[in-house]
Amino acid sequence: MPSTHVRPRRVGLLCVLAGASLSLTACAGATVAPPAVVDPATSWSLVTSAAQGQTVNLWMYGGDDLGNSYVDKILAPAAAAQGVTIHRVPITDTADALNRVVSETTAGRTMDGSVDLVWVNGENFRTGAQASLWKCGWATSLPNARYLDTRDPLLLNDFGTPVNGCEAPWHKAQFVIAYDSAKVTSPPTSIPELLTWAQDHPARFTYPQPPDFTGSAFVRQALYGISGGVASVPSTYDAATAQPLEDALWSKLSGVAPSLWRGGQTYPRDLTALDKLYSDGQVWFTMTYGPATIDARVKDGTFPATTKVLSLRDGSLGNASFLAIPANAAHSAAAQVVANLALSPEQQAAKADPSTWGQYTVLDVTKVPESLRAPLEARSAISVVPPFSTLSTSSNPELSATWVTPLEQGWRKSVLGG
Amino acid sequence: MTTDATERRASTPRGRGSLLALPALAPVLAVLVLGLGSAVLQSVGLMPLAGQPAFTTSAYSALASPAVADGMRISLAIAAASTAIAVVLGLTAALLVHRIAPRRGFLALLAAATVPVPHLVGAIATGLLLSDSGLVSRLLGADPTTFPQLIAGPWWVGVVAEYAWKESAFVALVVLVSLSQRERELSEAAAVLGASAWERFRRVTLPLASPALVVSATLSAAYVVGSYEVSWLLGRSYPEPLPVLAYRLFTDVDLDTRPEAMAVAVLTVGVAGAIALVGTVMLRRTAAAR
Repeated sequence: MPSTHVRPRRVGLLCVLAGASLSLTACAGATVAPPAVVDPATSWSLVTSAAQGQTVNLWMYGGDDLGNSYVDKILAPAAAAQGVTIHRVPITDTADALNRVVSETTAGRTMDGSVDLVWVNGENFRTGAQASLWKCGWATSLPNARYLDTRDPLLLNDFGTPVNGCEAPWHKAQFVIAYDSAKVTSPPTSIPELLTWAQDHPARFTYPQPPDFTGSAFVRQALYGISGGVASVPSTYDAATAQPLEDALWSKLSGVAPSLWRGGQTYPRDLTALDKLYSDGQVWFTMTYGPATIDARVKDGTFPATTKVLSLRDGSLGNASFLAIPANAAHSAAAQVVANLALSPEQQAAKADPSTWGQYTVLDVTKVPESLRAPLEARSAISVVPPFSTLSTSSNPELSATWVTPLEQGWRKSVLGG
Repeated sequence: MTTDATERRASTPRGRGSLLALPALAPVLAVLVLGLGSAVLQSVGLMPLAGQPAFTTSAYSALASPAVADGMRISLAIAAASTAIAVVLGLTAALLVHRIAPRRGFLALLAAATVPVPHLVGAIATGLLLSDSGLVSRLLGADPTTFPQLIAGPWWVGVVAEYAWKESAFVALVVLVSLSQRERELSEAAAVLGASAWERFRRVTLPLASPALVVSATLSAAYVVGSYEVSWLLGRSYPEPLPVLAYRLFTDVDLDTRPEAMAVAVLTVGVAGAIALVGTVMLRRTAAAR
């Protein structure tokens, strides 16, 4: 933490004086952080005792039924056993939570914010870090952080933004493209092949419009695919080197647009809309950053039973998602207790079960006691999604979040409006 | 014109009246001044999320882009089309109820039934009904690829239909209230004097209903210009109506687009305000003509 050497009272005064977001991290840190001298075990027991009886407002994407029911039926009771109540706040987009934190801090609510814990993705994490909205330094001192691989690149950088203990890992994800094998008889094995397939089969392929999270991921995946692989794309955005890559990407995507659904005149507004087109049989491909949902949709009959996951020669994007605590959270101690609980091998195993949620674990399985290992890699007997170890063999690292805005704006200008 | 004395006499009750209206006015003013005020401040860079406040009009210069111009055009077109349809449908419904059912309880209730349905629900229902793999398409056994593109199509049919359907109920309700017993009496008197049905409509009913028509049309057009969810659910990717554009910029991962989002929001308020102004002028005219 940047300000541990400053006495807490002084920090409080600084907060009042500064008011704005610049010193927020320091302010919130000062209100809950124990004195820097105590050893970790004592400081954690201080956190747990401060957390007793608190209610954590957990803001998370609410469009995933399995995720909602995992939190309500498995995570929340376990948290209740530790004296913490979880109140799940469903949102349509993580940016909503961020906006709430931003609005509250601009309005001067720097201590008792209504967002305690956010399931956050890299783009929003970076935005929040830009405005110093996150409480930092807590995630590495969680007791269950000992099960993590400290050198795992996915956990050190979130979309190119250093994590620095400002968020605790929750699950890993792999971007997959799914297709109906009854209709697509010779499935493409790379992004360029997929786009050629789309040109040969008018109106049978499309992708959600960026800035939808999945649509944005598809554009990044296409950037890798068209530029000739991960090695050809610098991970941090730089206008000069990016220009030729972007030009090639946009010309390819606008070239294929007339062959997309609705002639590329319009795109599904989000993943939900694309999934509907897929389940209605209008398009023959869908895509997701959460492969477990495909299993669930096939199982409940929304997707055809002949759905399969496209195996891409060059691999696909992989990332980890995290739980972050806003600097102005009212119940940050309880939020830490929940983040720690969510990292426990038991919870990670329960969450990995495809019938529960099917989110891949972030833990380093070799660090987990042997008796707890097996369920961490669980998957259902009949699954259309290959195991995580197969999916992630040639995992593509996520591009830095600095890429996200240029790509979204470029797509809008060169593909949608052009 | 009024003399000083009459003005003084009139001012006391009027002053008391505005004092009584204060409790109702206060929250409206609070929302307008605080909400709109902070939107304006954010749009000119005086309330930044990070960094030092500095006055700038760059967010407003950024409004001179084709995306904003197209957004404005589509917003106005949707508002005009849906309001026109709503006025015709609403007036027709109100007249039918007024004519057919003198004790109009049940029919009026029926006409007003759509008013409490939220636009969000209406939009989803419209989507389920009219989309190319929706209920209508399935009932007709149509091929989704050749079914007319009513939802997310080039003519925004779904969006206009939803607004027209919802607003027509509102128009009908307001007009129905304005067509009191007086209209029936005047109409009968005109009939006795030999006026044809068309003449009675033209000379009696329409003038009596027109203030209510103007008011409800103004409210509905201003509402449509500022409304988000229907266009988002049933519209297409481009052009984006102003509220959709503003919200996308507002939720952009890049915080630097926030001032521009606020500028688009302020512009939207301006357009709605202009509609309200036009409506007020038209209302004055109709009231003066009477």
